[in-house]
Parts: sequence; structure tokens; C-alpha cells
Amino acid sequence: MRQIFNALLKYKNTSLFLGLLFISLLILNQRSFYHKSVFSEIGLGISSNFYGVSKGVSEYLNLRKTNVDLVKENNKLKALELIYFQNQVLKQKTLDTFDFEVLSTKIIKNSFNKANNYLIINKGYEDGVTNDMGVISADGIIGIINQVQAHHSSVISILHQDIKVNVSFKKNGAYGTLSWPGIHPKKMSLDDISTINSISVGDTIVTGGMSAYFPFGIPIGVVSKFVQPKTEGYYQIEVDLFSNLTQKEFAYVIKNKNLDEIKKLTSDVSN
Amino acid sequence: MFQTNTKSFLQFTFLILLQAFLLNNVNLFGFLNPYIYLLFFITYRFDNNPTLLILIGFVMGFLLDLLSQGAGGHMIASLAIAFLRPYIIQFSFGVNSDISTGMLRGTSLSNRLLYLALMVFIHHLILFIVVYFNLKSISVIFKYTFFTTIFSFILLWISLSFFKTRHD
Repeated sequence: MRQIFNALLKYKNTSLFLGLLFISLLILNQRSFYHKSVFSEIGLGISSNFYGVSKGVSEYLNLRKTNVDLVKENNKLKALELIYFQNQVLKQKTLDTFDFEVLSTKIIKNSFNKANNYLIINKGYEDGVTNDMGVISADGIIGIINQVQAHHSSVISILHQDIKVNVSFKKNGAYGTLSWPGIHPKKMSLDDISTINSISVGDTIVTGGMSAYFPFGIPIGVVSKFVQPKTEGYYQIEVDLFSNLTQKEFAYVIKNKNLDEIKKLTSDVSN
Repeated sequence: MFQTNTKSFLQFTFLILLQAFLLNNVNLFGFLNPYIYLLFFITYRFDNNPTLLILIGFVMGFLLDLLSQGAGGHMIASLAIAFLRPYIIQFSFGVNSDISTGMLRGTSLSNRLLYLALMVFIHHLILFIVVYFNLKSISVIFKYTFFTTIFSFILLWISLSFFKTRHD
């Protein structure tokens, strides 16, 4: 006891200083929000480190249970993976059952300033291209294949007065025939739309499903103006193409897998 | 003894009021305030009770913080300088540290300058560390400490010469 007193007396200045310093820090903590936040930050750092250590220990002790849980989770994920693979197969089947096949190609020669225009593409029968396939671009249709070589094919452009494409209105499905009057490479004329359908400027025109060349629904252009006849009958419609056929480099050949069947049916019916 | 205590008490009160109401508003170059209340710790007789000085330092700093809306910088800094003072005296004056009025007479000029500089620098360093209380502000702390130390040092040296003539 005496020794403790002696020690206290010996270090009385130091202990007094430390005690007062502690009180000072308490007062500092009370008086200043900034210092309070710094103190609490330090406290948080210390306690989080401490918790980190204890957490590490408890994690190590729980490894067996964690392993069991992980195995369970793996089983579940494996089942999900199998389902996913099955769906992949189904997707592949959907692709396979789609009636059209797509083949990308490059346009080598393009014409648009004649009355009847043709294009040449760099895919031929060795690539699976045959006559009467449709050719489309990223933003519209281009034409129909009419001659096939080993590595090249010629395409009748839709800017050709003999070609007529089955199209329909996107909004109500009214269908007609698109043809080129031979004047401007972006203006087409649309015939055979009955006046019982209401139309307006700006309506979108898409490919119709009646054609064996193109799948249904490829956007082609918009109605730019139309003339309504005084009596009942058919509109005279002018269509602005989306695609600029004077600036095309790449195209896709579309192969209808059922083309032979359709052709056979058509010839059977007409006979 | 009574006279000495009264003198100390008056000095204590005067220095606090001077510091809180005049010198804390100097703002030389926008940020420099001299801390003249250190004069109390510097001129405190070397043979007086150091434990009492620690208590006085704590109270003085606390009052200064109250008067100048400080958080606690003066409190901790003056407490620390009161605690460290015997060691600084030992270091600065060496064998002459038993001369009780060593700061005023009887010691060499270089010793006195070293003592004063150490007292001022350590006090200001602790003060700014507590005020900024952030490792990222270390450059600001040293900048303020450096310039304020120079300013306080000059003013304290001038004040000490007044003491000297009055005592002589």
C-alpha cells in the first residue's frame, strides 16, 4: 500500500497530466462535433478490426457447416444449369423451325439510275444461293435474286419496273403491291389499297406475308402522300423508302426453306 | 509568498483577458495570432511547484477555450506545455536549470533563446494538431505552426525585456 502511495507521489505530475489530458479529451469530444466524429471514427476502426478477428475465428470454426451449405447450393445451381441447357436446345429448335435462313453478303455492283436496275452480290450457288431468294439490307429490302453463278449472283433491284412486292400497312394489315415508277430512287408507288381502309401520311409500310421472297414485317418505308379517288376504288399512294439504295454495301440473302413447296402448290393450283 | 501569489494571479488574469479579447483577433496576414499567454508558463519560477503549474495550465487553457469558443486546443496545449516544461528547462539550460529566474537573468542568451523557442514551438505544434486533428492536414499544421511560432517568439521576446527592466 505504502509502495503504491510512494509510486503515486513519485509520478504525481505524470499521473495528474494524464488524468487532466483524459478530461481534456472528454471536454474536446463534448464541445466539438468535428473532434467527436474523428473520435468515433477511430473507435469504429478499432472495434471493426476486433470484430474482424473474432469473425475470422468463428468462420474457421463453422467451415464444416459452410461446406454442407455450399454443396446444397451447388446442387441447386447444377439443376438450374441443366434446365438452362435444355432451353438452349429449345432455342436452337426455334431457329431451325423458322422458315427463312439468312446469309450475309457484300454488294459488288449497284445501279439505280436506269429504268431497270440490277445489283451483283459476292455469293453464288456454292454458298447456297439460288434463284428467287430475297435480298434485304439493314433497313429495308433490296431485291430478288434472278441469276446465280458459282460465287456471284445478280439481283433484280426493287428499283426495277417489273418487280412487284407484296407489302402491307403495319397499323392495320391492309396489303397491296409496291412497285417502282422509275423516277426517283427513294419514291415507290403503292397500289391495290382499297379505300375502305383508312390511311394517313406517315403510316409505316412493311413487307407482307403473301410473298414467298420475304418474311413478314420488314419495315420498308412510310406513306409520304396519297390521293383519294372521288368514287370508291383504290388509293394512289406514294411511299418513301427508309433505305437509301444508292449507298448500299452489305446485304443479307434470305432463303425460304419452303419455297419449293410453295411453288409446287402454286403451279398445282394454276394447273 | 503572498505577494508572489497575488502577482501570479494578476498576471494570470491579465494574460487570459489580453489573449482572449485582443490577441486572438490580430489575424496578421489573415491567419497569424500570437499566443502571448505562454508568458505565464515561461516566467513561472523554475523552483515553484510543477504540479500546481499543471493544474494552472489546465485551468488557463480551459478558460481560454471558453472565452474564444475553441474546442479544446488551448486546454490540451497548455496542459502539455506545463507538464513538459521541466524537461524543456533541463534540456535548454543544462547545469544552470536550478537558477530559479533563469529566463530573466543569470543564464546565457543562447540558452534562453533555445528555451523560449522550444516552449513556443511545442505549444503551437500541439495546439494546431489538436485544432486540425487530421493526418491529411499535416502540411497546414506545420505551416501554421512555423509562422505563428515566429510571430509569437518575437512578441514574447519583446515582452520579456519589459519584465527584465521592471525587475531590475
